[in-house]
Amino acid sequence: MNPAAGEPDPGAQLGRLLEEDPADLYENAPMGYLSTLPDGRIVKVNRTFCAWTGRAPDDLLGVRFQELLTIGGRVFHETHVVPLLRMQGAVREIALDVVRMDGSVLPCLINAVEVRGEDGAPLLVRATLFEATARRRYERELLNAQRAAEESEGRSRTVQRVVSDMAAATSVADVAAVVVDRGREALGARGAALVLVEEAPAAGVPRLHTEHSAGMSGELLEELRAAAIGQLALELAQGVRTVVLDDRMRTERPTVAAAMIADGLSSLVLVPVTADNRRLGVLVLGLGSGVRGDLISLDEPEAVRTTGPADVELLWTLGRQAGQALERARLLEETARNAERSAFLLEAARLLASAADVAETVDRLADIAVERLADVCAIDLTSEHGVTRPVVRHRDPARQGVAEELRQRQLPQRGAPHPAVQALQQRRTVWVPVLDEDLLQQITVDERHLEIAHDLDLVSLIAVPFVADGRVLGVITLAADSRRGRFTAADVEVAEQLGLQLALAVSKAQRYELDVRTSHTLQANLLPPEPPEVGGLRMAVRYLAATQGVEVGGDFYDVVRLPDGHVALAVGDVVGHDITAAATMGQLNSVYRALLVDRPAPSAMIDRLQASWSLLGLQRMATALFATLDPVNGQLRIASAGHPPPLLLSAGHAEFLPVAPSRMLGAPPAPAPAHEWAGVLPAGASLVFFTDGLVESRSADIDTGLAHLLAAVEASDTSDPDELCDRLLTDLTGVHRADDIALLVLTRT
Amino acid sequence: MVFAHGFGCDQVMWRFVAPDFEVDHRVVLFDHVGAGRSDLRAYVPEKYASLRGYAQDIVEICHELELSDVVLVGHSVSAMIGVLALQEAASQGTPKMFGALVMVGPNPRYVDDGDYVGGFSRADIAGLLDALDSNHLGWSAKMAPVIMGNHPEHPELAEELTNSFCRTDPDIARQFARVTFLSDNRADLADVAVPTLVLQCSEDVIAPDVVGRYVHGAVPGSTFTQLAATGHVPHLSSPEETTAAIRAFLTG
Repeated sequence: MNPAAGEPDPGAQLGRLLEEDPADLYENAPMGYLSTLPDGRIVKVNRTFCAWTGRAPDDLLGVRFQELLTIGGRVFHETHVVPLLRMQGAVREIALDVVRMDGSVLPCLINAVEVRGEDGAPLLVRATLFEATARRRYERELLNAQRAAEESEGRSRTVQRVVSDMAAATSVADVAAVVVDRGREALGARGAALVLVEEAPAAGVPRLHTEHSAGMSGELLEELRAAAIGQLALELAQGVRTVVLDDRMRTERPTVAAAMIADGLSSLVLVPVTADNRRLGVLVLGLGSGVRGDLISLDEPEAVRTTGPADVELLWTLGRQAGQALERARLLEETARNAERSAFLLEAARLLASAADVAETVDRLADIAVERLADVCAIDLTSEHGVTRPVVRHRDPARQGVAEELRQRQLPQRGAPHPAVQALQQRRTVWVPVLDEDLLQQITVDERHLEIAHDLDLVSLIAVPFVADGRVLGVITLAADSRRGRFTAADVEVAEQLGLQLALAVSKAQRYELDVRTSHTLQANLLPPEPPEVGGLRMAVRYLAATQGVEVGGDFYDVVRLPDGHVALAVGDVVGHDITAAATMGQLNSVYRALLVDRPAPSAMIDRLQASWSLLGLQRMATALFATLDPVNGQLRIASAGHPPPLLLSAGHAEFLPVAPSRMLGAPPAPAPAHEWAGVLPAGASLVFFTDGLVESRSADIDTGLAHLLAAVEASDTSDPDELCDRLLTDLTGVHRADDIALLVLTRT
Repeated sequence: MVFAHGFGCDQVMWRFVAPDFEVDHRVVLFDHVGAGRSDLRAYVPEKYASLRGYAQDIVEICHELELSDVVLVGHSVSAMIGVLALQEAASQGTPKMFGALVMVGPNPRYVDDGDYVGGFSRADIAGLLDALDSNHLGWSAKMAPVIMGNHPEHPELAEELTNSFCRTDPDIARQFARVTFLSDNRADLADVAVPTLVLQCSEDVIAPDVVGRYVHGAVPGSTFTQLAATGHVPHLSSPEETTAAIRAFLTG
């Protein structure tokens, strides 16, 4: 090679370049280079690093390398780089930030090796640093994008979970729990509460109640509730909104601010809960300094967390999902409640219908009421004599004593402000949703009454009057204690249904009782008194009304002592057991007594009655036996109008007397006069007169009945009339009689 | 003697110190769940959302090995985990499980709080978490080791490093960092009822002197030993001094 003069020799130029000063190479290398002692003190550093950091070499020598790093870098250095160098002698591509002289940060990647002595002890650390600003920015962006993707994925997961949890929630309480838990989770909130708008009992300010909450104090919830009253519509209209604990709040709403501070909250996020634009309530999320658990928050204590648009969108979705789920759950609950209510009312109707009288009816209603609807049930009845209180029942039998005391403290009189009195007077339901102390003071009559109300912890009342045919029959008063909580509009509805049922049942029972009373009164007047004392005769009578149907009967008996010393006897049975039968019997008895004035023979009595029947206007036919007896000699005459013959018991032998029956009274008159049987009743013998109720039963015909009677009389082995009556009734009648029974036994002594 | 490693690496950190005690102690080393060769499937975020989760593990290990009168040596965050382990043992009715506590570079609360100096502001901790993220970027079980020596002549070492040393799942590392640097266990110090040694390094940015003094003041009857060793890991940088200090405490 022969280079020409003046021409640059590229090879020589490269050679010169490559023969550069190693010191220059070190100092000006395109990377930072430094050596430190094992504890980090810099003992050598190149110019490049000095230039990067804006420091003179003398400023760096003797300084610990760690001190050039950001705090995070220092910690990472101590916890990772130092151990790694010691353990493995080298590290590669560690990302650390070096702080420049002017305070700005230079992102670097560091490689380092540990130089060790013969014994393995560290002597020196040599490190190279590469600037990594662009790379780190890129990595940071990558990381941010990954985080954003994760957060977005997290939000999608939250929405998915919300949707599936809501689908599984069937009650309002379940839905509320899901909303609160998921909302809290989604925002990392300290606390959350679902506040729902209650249906307003009347026009006016809607009530709010906290359906479910977690991590929020009762004080704060109460403050928020109070603050929301009156501007609820406004709040709900504002969409997802953040209320920050700032100076303005501290001045304008000091109590809310204080409650937030006590709960460690710095802001509240209000999320409207809506369904098809119906505003059902608000999900309140409390954000504060403090992540979950007992870790210190990275947020400065005074810092306010903001809610990003993605979170707002998520919360909107949560609010709408919650609204729909709430509506669905309410519908489900309503359906279930309706079904339950129907079943309850049906059961109540069944129980009331089977009650025998008014007392039992109100008793049952009280039982039903405290079983499901109320804790205390009092029932007052009105009558011409005023108000009576037949029953007060408490749900807990152990507290029945107090309830009983309440019963005995009769209702306050007219004009008193007690809801029961009001309900009676105004003939409408009185509902006291919240029974506060003022009202309680007003409606109790004295100290003890108030004490009882306190003792029972009553918080709510309903008084429902029950009215039938325009007549107020009484009032049901229901009370709830604090455990049950206040009565709802639905409770009032059920109570009113019960009131209707009770009105029907009581009016029916009262009518029935009136009928029964009337029947007894009539019968008591219609039936002849006990037979008179007659020398030479002992007598006993029994009268038993049928147990089924109307109680008054058409049966009768009569014993009259005639002026000539004879005795006139009669036993009869008017067809039917109703009032008409009883009335006919009464008339028949009167006419019979009137006819006795002429002392007709028994057969003549039948003929006269038959002849005058149409004139008498008697509406029913009747059977009867008429007899006259001379107690002195036992002369006996008997005639029958279609009536079973009497039975003679003499010397242990019983027989039916062969009294030939004529037609029934009221049947078309027979062409011939009535037959008459005449004979003698021996001393010591007994005669048994009876109506067919004694011998007839549903299960056997009359002949069987008569045979039974005969056998029973023979078997009785007694001539004592009372004893014989009892024996016959015992032997021949069961508990249930289908017909009235009149029984007359006489024994000639 | 049970050695509990701190935030950062794993039980290998004790390799220059622990063997010395094997002559007169049963020495137990372990990796916290999430670190070293621990079974990552055992990591339950809820349990390890507090240092108590880690403390329960130590007590469980001692129960399993039927240990009693244990000298518990905890480095850095494990010093505080040790304090909680004492509580946990007492609450489980085995207060005699631990006989002594050695706290190496303890810090009960890293974040300054009023007059209390922990050495860090909230922004510092946020920066630390960022630094962790920067170094964990791209880490995963599938990736080639990021932090490893280029030692073709020592494949066994590379293998060790690849598999365990100082390598952690980034999510777990981040969570452990949060729990480590955002806990406040100052109130628990007064409960320590066993002889306690506070080993304080020099120029330790993670556990400054003032914090070590605070811990010494808060743990009743504790012994305070200032080491000449600098940094936060004296058992690596000055194993002889560290060993001697622990020995002095145990024999004294």
